[in-house]
Amino acid sequence: MRANYQVNATPQFSVLTGDQIEEIFHAALDVLERVGTRVYGEEGVALLREAGCLVSDTDLVRIPSWLVKEALNTTPQRVAIAGRDRRQRLTLEKNKIYFGTGSDCPSLVDPYTDEVRKYTFQDVYNAARISDALPHIDFHMSLGLTSGVPARTYDRHQFLAMLKGTAKPLVITAVDREGLADQYRMACQVLGGPEEFAKAPLFVVYIEPSSPLSNSVEAVEKLLYAAEMGIPAIYTPCIMCGATGPVTLAGGMVQCLAECLTGVVLAQLKRKGAAVIIGGVESTIDMATSVLSYGAPEMVLLSAAMTDVARWLRLPMFSTAGCSDAKILDQQAAIESAISVMVAALSGANLIHDVGYLESGLLGSYDMLVMSNEVIGMAKRILRGIAVTPETLAVEVIERVGPGGHYLAQPHTRQHFRSELWFPTLMDRQMRRAWEGGGSQTMAMRVRAKVKEILEHHEPMPIPAGVEARLREIVAQADERHAS
Amino acid sequence: MERLFQEMADAVIAGLPEKASELAREALGVGMDPLAAIEQGFKPGMDVVGEGFAKGELFIPDLVMSAEAMKAAIAVLEPEMLRRKQQRQVLGRVVIGTVQGDIHEIGKTLVATMLAANGFEVRDLGVDVSPQRFVDAVRETNADVVGLSALLTTTLLNQETVILTLQEAGLRDQVKVIIGGVPASPEWAEEIGADGYAENATEAVEVVKRLVQAET
Repeated sequence: MRANYQVNATPQFSVLTGDQIEEIFHAALDVLERVGTRVYGEEGVALLREAGCLVSDTDLVRIPSWLVKEALNTTPQRVAIAGRDRRQRLTLEKNKIYFGTGSDCPSLVDPYTDEVRKYTFQDVYNAARISDALPHIDFHMSLGLTSGVPARTYDRHQFLAMLKGTAKPLVITAVDREGLADQYRMACQVLGGPEEFAKAPLFVVYIEPSSPLSNSVEAVEKLLYAAEMGIPAIYTPCIMCGATGPVTLAGGMVQCLAECLTGVVLAQLKRKGAAVIIGGVESTIDMATSVLSYGAPEMVLLSAAMTDVARWLRLPMFSTAGCSDAKILDQQAAIESAISVMVAALSGANLIHDVGYLESGLLGSYDMLVMSNEVIGMAKRILRGIAVTPETLAVEVIERVGPGGHYLAQPHTRQHFRSELWFPTLMDRQMRRAWEGGGSQTMAMRVRAKVKEILEHHEPMPIPAGVEARLREIVAQADERHAS
Repeated sequence: MERLFQEMADAVIAGLPEKASELAREALGVGMDPLAAIEQGFKPGMDVVGEGFAKGELFIPDLVMSAEAMKAAIAVLEPEMLRRKQQRQVLGRVVIGTVQGDIHEIGKTLVATMLAANGFEVRDLGVDVSPQRFVDAVRETNADVVGLSALLTTTLLNQETVILTLQEAGLRDQVKVIIGGVPASPEWAEEIGADGYAENATEAVEVVKRLVQAET
């Protein structure tokens, strides 16, 4: 028998205390109630007015605190999604972490020519295949923006490429409400009907309010459609502290939270119980270049702090890591990936996205994705913590080996080493002679070899030909509607 | 017999020394030729493990536990081979130890285990071994190879002392010298006139095999 014995099953980490979180939350409520937010489009404004919001100047909406509170009460604290391989299931709930890519980068580095060029349908398909092959990538966003297809309907083409390339759960983007509706129809085709989608949505839709405190027609319409159809929605801004948000990080969080909560309220007014995920990319403007930094320590800190807030509010969290401002897979990319992945993992955010971003989100890098997969593996080992039990304390084994012996021939070692130790797949631990003998391969070279190996060999779970034909039909119909 | 051979191989693959000894005793009980037990039973198991290690599917603890099982089986079978005046087909005789002033054991022990499991007869002198003890052991066992381990840069110099002592004793031409240990290197081996260097236990087996073949 023991008394008052406590266990840390994982390392413990948080940025803010409950008091600090509550203060940020109250400040966000104050902003929504007194400053208000611009909501464009008639339906959203009407819903908010009817619910008791003050509307002035056509679309400036002031949301009372009680309404936010009410909306939070009906927003699910957990969301379960699953890929077209229904076994690939993610339960977005308190402290469960999942990593995935980001979406819609215009360019990539061609893995065979090193040329920087625009993403094609084939490249987007290949990005999905890489995510599909990587064990630590749990969900997939497009990584690339599909070029060479009509701009008004690119999202359907892109979704088709993603669906073909991976059987994992997806986070999609949509041009507008109609684009989202088409992708919803496509998903139902793949799953065999809306009932199956309702059981575990195949995708979450990413929707972005415009900081500061504005919600475009498209964003609001997509959000309301998602709420109506039971599609979980990420409603999160990309805040540049110092430019589109206050430069002080707490202020950035207040505004970010106010923007997310606007989405929570709108979705609940459309349909109680609609799933909304908060968070986003909260970072700083680089004051020398005006770039939104994807490698800044402030981004890492803000993401972790917002995760504290989301946990306190009991809402699923969309966080950011595995990304960089570097232009190629260099030392900077590795540093920024490692730090952001480790902290995001420790924070316990649910959907940690943008793994694979280089060039501040302009380049979706296969190399960065593959290297970060290894970083995530290391972070996950750290998260597993240290189990302290009579078996792991190993006093019996220490006694058996005694002073001067060794542990390699102990059954205890053989029994535990596979679960206790992390096994690298890209990190090099050879001695110099062996490393030189293998051609003195740098991390970047090893990563590229792995990228090529996946591209040349990985076959995702196929989509039946009949289903693919129906998907292509939906895409073609959309193209036709917009051609005229 | 086939069933027994398979179980022997399996015991080595699974790295179970007690099971391996038990099977060796069972083999002797049914009158099996101990050489056949080694060659057709236990050794094929060791080969499987060696291949798995080379492919990166198995790791050092797997290799060492299998080697321990192999050693346990040989220990049971050896007296019977002596009684039958059978000479086990040993690849060679190796004397091994950590040089004087150095009590680091594990690297040397791993090499000894791997050599023993791969067909060598090994005499492990332990740690902090004086040059004279190396010389005496080489003479007593008529060793083909002597292995010198050192972990410290300060004791590394004693690898050279052993070689010089072997020369003085007039034994240097009869025995190959292999060195190892973190501060050792192929360059150091060349500098002190050693015949071989290995970075780890599996490489040591390859190098010692090569040295012995070159000799015959």
